[in-house]
Parts: sequence; C-alpha cells; structure tokens
Amino acid sequence: MSRRALIPIVTGIPLAMIAIFVVASRWIVPNATRQDIMTGVTSPGTAGHLFGTDQLGRDITQLAIAGAGSAVVGPIVIALGSMMIGIMLGTFAGYMGGWLDLLLSKYADLLLALPTTLVALVVTGLIDGGYWVTVLVLIMLFSPTDIRMVRGSVIAQSGRPYIESAKVLGLGRLRIMFRHILPNVLPVAFSTMLLNVAFALVSMSALSFLGLGVGPGVPDWGRQLSDSRDLLDRNWGSLVLPATLIIITAAAINLLGDWLQERFEERSVQR
Amino acid sequence: MNRGLYLSNLVVTGPTGLIVTRMDLRLEPGQTVALVGESGSGKSMTAKAMTGLLPRGVTATGTLQLDDIEVDLALGPQVLTDLRGKHISLLLQNPFTSLSPVHRCGEQITAALAPDLRRSKDEIRRRLDEVDLPERVARQYPFELSGGMRQRVALAASLASNPQILIGDEPTTALDVTTQREMLDLLERIQGERDMALLLITHDLGIARERADRILVMYAGRLVELGEGADVFAHAQHPYTAGLRDSDPPLKHRLVELPAIAGSVPRPSEVAVGCVFAPRCDRADHRCRTDTPELIGTTSQVACWKPITKADTPHLIQIATDVQAQNTGTDLVVVKAVSKRFSPSAPLALDNVDISIRLGEAVGIVGESGSGKTTLARCLIGLESFESGDISWMINAPMAQRAQIVFQDPTSALNPAMTIGASLAEALGVGQRDKSEVPALLQLVGLPAEYARRRPHGLSGGEQQRVAIARAIAPKPKLLICDEPVSSLDVSVQAQILNLMNSIIKELGIALLFITHDLAVVRQVVSRVYVMNNGRVVESGTMENVLLSPQHEYTRQLFSSVAGK
Repeated sequence: MSRRALIPIVTGIPLAMIAIFVVASRWIVPNATRQDIMTGVTSPGTAGHLFGTDQLGRDITQLAIAGAGSAVVGPIVIALGSMMIGIMLGTFAGYMGGWLDLLLSKYADLLLALPTTLVALVVTGLIDGGYWVTVLVLIMLFSPTDIRMVRGSVIAQSGRPYIESAKVLGLGRLRIMFRHILPNVLPVAFSTMLLNVAFALVSMSALSFLGLGVGPGVPDWGRQLSDSRDLLDRNWGSLVLPATLIIITAAAINLLGDWLQERFEERSVQR
Repeated sequence: MNRGLYLSNLVVTGPTGLIVTRMDLRLEPGQTVALVGESGSGKSMTAKAMTGLLPRGVTATGTLQLDDIEVDLALGPQVLTDLRGKHISLLLQNPFTSLSPVHRCGEQITAALAPDLRRSKDEIRRRLDEVDLPERVARQYPFELSGGMRQRVALAASLASNPQILIGDEPTTALDVTTQREMLDLLERIQGERDMALLLITHDLGIARERADRILVMYAGRLVELGEGADVFAHAQHPYTAGLRDSDPPLKHRLVELPAIAGSVPRPSEVAVGCVFAPRCDRADHRCRTDTPELIGTTSQVACWKPITKADTPHLIQIATDVQAQNTGTDLVVVKAVSKRFSPSAPLALDNVDISIRLGEAVGIVGESGSGKTTLARCLIGLESFESGDISWMINAPMAQRAQIVFQDPTSALNPAMTIGASLAEALGVGQRDKSEVPALLQLVGLPAEYARRRPHGLSGGEQQRVAIARAIAPKPKLLICDEPVSSLDVSVQAQILNLMNSIIKELGIALLFITHDLAVVRQVVSRVYVMNNGRVVESGTMENVLLSPQHEYTRQLFSSVAGK
C-alpha cells in the first residue's frame, strides 16, 4: 500500500476518537468538571490521574475529553458558515462578473487585509462576547478566502462548453449557477472547508488561551493551555495533553483535506 | 557506423495493466517509419519508452539496440539518458508547450550543443537556416512566433545534437493544414540530408501513406499489421487496417454512408485473451476470441487468424450522386455584413461576413485556425456579440429553438455532475417536451436507454459526442451548429458520428452548419460550403463546384495541402 493510501486510516483513527469524545463526553466523563480542592495540583502518573490534576483538582485527562466539544464544534460551525457565505457571494461574483464581482471582490480584499486574530480580539473584547460571538466573528473573517476560492472555481467552470451549452439552451442564470456550476465546485469547497476547520481550531484555541471564548469553568483545550501556565512547574501534563490534542486534530484534518483535494483533482483530470 | 535502431520485445506496463504488448521495431538510416494508431493504441508510449520518458508508474521491458550499444530497458529510464538527445531525439506534438516560454529561441536550440559551439553566431545561423528560419528568430521568444515557426524551432532544438534517430510524436497535428505540408516537406528534406531515421507517430493515415517507407499499424497496444508504404492500406490484410482505411473519409467523392467500425478502441488491459480486435471485427470466429494471433509474414506481416485476401470481395463503397445543393428554398437565417473585433487594437475577427442558411440545408464553413469560423458560429448562437451588421432569423421562435450547438471537445461538453438522463431531460424541457422522451432520444443517437442513468466520465469520446448531439436536438431547433464535432475523435469513431449526423438531419429535416478545418470530413456532410480566411468569406458555392474549380487562391492552397487524398 502506498503512503498516500494510508492517509485516510492514519487520520481517520484520531478523528474518529475525537468525534466520539465530542458526542459522548457527558457519558464518558460525567464528572470532568468536579472540583476537588483537597487534591490540588498533582503531577502526571498520580494514582487515577494519567496526566495529573490542575489547581482545582480536576483531572486533566477527563477535562480534555470534555473539552473536545467546544474545541471542535466551533471550528466546524465556522468552516460551514464561512463556506456558505463563500458559495453564495463567490458564485454570484464569479458568474455575473461586472460591478457585482468588483464590489464583492473588494469587500473580500478588505476583510483579507485585516489581521484575523487581532480583529477577533478587539471585537469580542468590545462586545464582551462569549463562545458564539467569537464563532460569528471568525465566520466573517474566514469568509473572504472562501469567497475568492469559490469565485475562482466558478470562473474556471463558466468558460467550459457544458456551461455554454446550458446558456444556448436558454436556461436561467440561477439554474446555471446553482444546478450546473455549483455541483462541480462543491468537491473543492468541501476539502477547503476541512482545511478551514483545522485553521479555525487553532484560532479558537488561541483566542480562548487569551481569555476570550468559553466562559470560566467550561472545559476547553485553549483554556486548559492558558491555565497550565501557572502550574507548569508542578504538572507538565496540563500543558502537554491539550497541546498535543490540538496539534493532532488540526494536523489530521489538514492531511485529510489535502488528501481529498488531491483525489478530487485527479478525478477532474480523468474527465 | 550508423546502422539504425532495433527495438525488440518491448512491453510497457502501467498502473492499470499492459499498455504495449511485445512489439519489435526496426529503424534504418534514411528511412521513415510511420507508427499509425488511434488514441490508446500505445503509439506514444512506445516513443516514450524508447526515449526513457515514461511517466511515473509506467515501466518498460525489452531491448534497444543502437549500433554497438545494447540497452536493457528493464533497468529503468536512466540507462537511456546517454542515448537520448545524443542519438535519439524526440519532437513533440505541441510547440506551444514543448518550448520554454521564458527563454529565447536561440538558447533553446543551442542548449544541447557543445559548450564551445553554444555561443557561436555562425552555428546558430546555420541551425536556423536548416529549418528555414531567419536569423532574427534566435533573439525572439516562442510567443512571438506563429505555430509553424515554433515547431521549426522545436525541430532545430531536437536536431541540435545531430541524432541518428528522430522520433516525431504527431509533429504536425497541432498545425494548420497548409503549415502541416511545409513542416512535413522540411522533415523529409532534413532527413535526406542527414541520412537520419525518422519514426513518425501519427493518427493521420494520409500523412503515413504519403510520407512513410514502412507503416506499422497499432491497435490496443499491439502491432496488428506492418508493411511497405502505402501498400499496407491498399492491400490491407487485417480487418482493422482495412476498416481504418475505409472509415477515413475521401475527398474525391461523397459516400452514401461511411464504412465505420462499430464500438470504440478498448484499453489493452481490457482484452485478456484472443485477438485485440475481435470484439469489433465482423470476421471474428471462435478462435479469434480464444487464441492470440502472432505477426506472420515476411515483408508485410499481419497478426490475424482470418486475414483479408484477394479472394475476398472488397467492401462495396457507394458514391452518393443524389446530393444536390438546393438552389431554392426559404431562408432560415441570413447573416449580413457582420464584423467583429475582440479588442480595439486587434485585427477584425469577422470582416463583413455574409452567409445564409436555408431551411433543412447542410452548409459547411471551412477554414484554418484564426479564420473566424468559430467566432461566426458563436455570434449566430448568441454566445458572442458583434459590432456591426445584422443576423436575421426568418422564423419566429425563441433562441433555443432556432439553433443549438455541438462543440469540439465532447469530454467537457457535458456536465460531469449530472447524469445523462438529467442533462437530456433538461434540454427536452426547453422544447416543452417531456422527460419520458429520453429513451427515444438516446435511441435516435444510437445509445442504449440505460445510459440515462450514467454520468459522462464513464463514456468514450464518441459516446459523449452522441449525447451532446442528443442534447442539441432535444429542443427541436431548426438549425444544428457543429463546431469541429469530430476533430478530437478517432478515425473509426469519426465515421460513426458523421453517419449519425447525416441520418439525424435527414430524419428531423433540420438545417446543419458544419464548421471544420477538414475538407474530406465536410465533403461527406454538406452540399454547400463557405471558405473563410482571416475573418473573411473568400469563396462560396456548392461543395462540388468549389472542389472541382476553386476560384480563390487560398482555397486552392487549402486543397493542395490535404495529405494523401
């Protein structure tokens, strides 16, 4: 088996595990957030605590399992949301051209010129937002790349004979855009979306590390990282576990996205 | 010293199976050998195996012998690095991609020269002179040159190392017919001067017939027949060679129906046992399907259990005599003084064009690339606007029911994400017809009704073009425009599609506008023709008259460049 053929397996196993954590963490680790002040900070390997505990006595492992939800759900919503904006605006901009294209492209350029993390920081800080405000802000900030990507693919498809045939048949613009062009753009959009999930995961973690995002007490990898700063000298596990999880998840999604993209490209070449 | 090249027992294997099966090839100095075959026959892979340029995942075995050097191909492409360039050179099809866009032509020609010659002005001049190019070309970039000139630069570059063997992989296919002839003449002259062996890989039977000393016919990865020059076709023994010859449309006369080979070329890996051609052969019997025939014979060889002999009655070819251009009839569309420019600085793409098409009439537009023939079609159908002039339709119908179009490349003509049934149903809907007519429509273009559930990418090029034709006729247009509808198809499939188009326009009584560069093809379909050059209609008339007594200089030039017909 070639190395490329191994990618879906190698990435699938950790992703499947994370998915199980997201869906079933409340049954796997029902007491993840239970505090035990008496225990306090313990180092990895302490009886019953593989990665030790934090200053509130919470088990790092259980906390990380419970934190999978907020770490993954937000990014998925961000990627989906920004791709929906990308598909709507990108398809119109790419197919209609003219002033609409100019306007939408300039809008995308403008958003693209903003430093993503900084804007998210300022906005969420200003309106005192929580998790979902951060998600919303990131959707806005992620959308310009998606608009551009979809626009480019739509333009590439628009010149192809099958679209010209559809025009000659006198089909309406909306029908050509959404029935003929869009299905041929979706495969690329899907793999881009996966890559966005990975990127959003890192962004979200960074924001909650900086104290924005989930509220206090809610399990979250980024927040765990942030908390670990104070107890590094006593429990290195509190840093290593969430950091590793972030890296593995992001890398696995990235690899899978790349792999899918290659597959789609091969298929379109064969056509 | 120069004793030519001997390739023996070549086997090329790709990721999905065999590409070329056990083939021998001899190239002698001063000789031209044509390797003829359709797409997927393995002819290009043979050239790539001989030059060590096989793509990743494709391997070759066999022996290549050149003078005293013997190379075992199984050792990998690196064993050929020394031979390639120095002794064997390759000239590729597309001069637009085979030359580097960022280097001057002079540099590209001299790259393979010895370092002391590389800077010599005289040497570059001599090299350019050999391919009939002026000295200034050395300082120009490829994009500044015409296609024909670019291919000359590519030729000069591949000759730089003074090879004994030159392999031309479809070296003139990307060129216009008039340029094609010049290029072939040039190749022939240089080959004579250098006493070089030339392996000409081509799908064009005319070129092979006219230029080759020996012709090898390949089919699905196998050599099926070989022999001396034009004899191979004139006295074809293999049913495939005969079929290929017969399905190549003649220029001299119009046939009632082109003899076509049913089906399409299989992949070599699809044919496990028996003769590779058996599934499409009307002479095949049980043995053909179970035992693989070997090449037998001396000067001419054939791999066939039931070769065609002189005793066989030749295929009857019926010449159509009843095709008369109608002089009267109601006009369907009249194009008057239409002009178009793509940008203010560009020359006119259409210059005062006048044409007319009558109801139910088959009209051709013939011209080379840049003649404006496609632009005119796109203006007619509304895909392109024009600056001045007038296109008036004499019927009262929505645009979609006036005219429909079939494009050149069938692979991108159908939406890859839609089933064939959905594509056709949509087109039927435009003509207020019900989707229950899909099976009948498929049947009309010679496809089984089950194809409605399939998607385009599983179909062969010929089948895709049939679907494209079905979609075009679905709204019941009064005019069917076909823009080079058969130029990207194999010869044997081309005949099927031409027959289909003839029968469809007859059955539906619709008018046809057939746009092509290929005179022999248009001959088989239309009764009246317009010849276009540089955006202008230079000649028009009935097909017969234009053919028999061309008036315009350009038309004469076009006719005289058609190879081997």
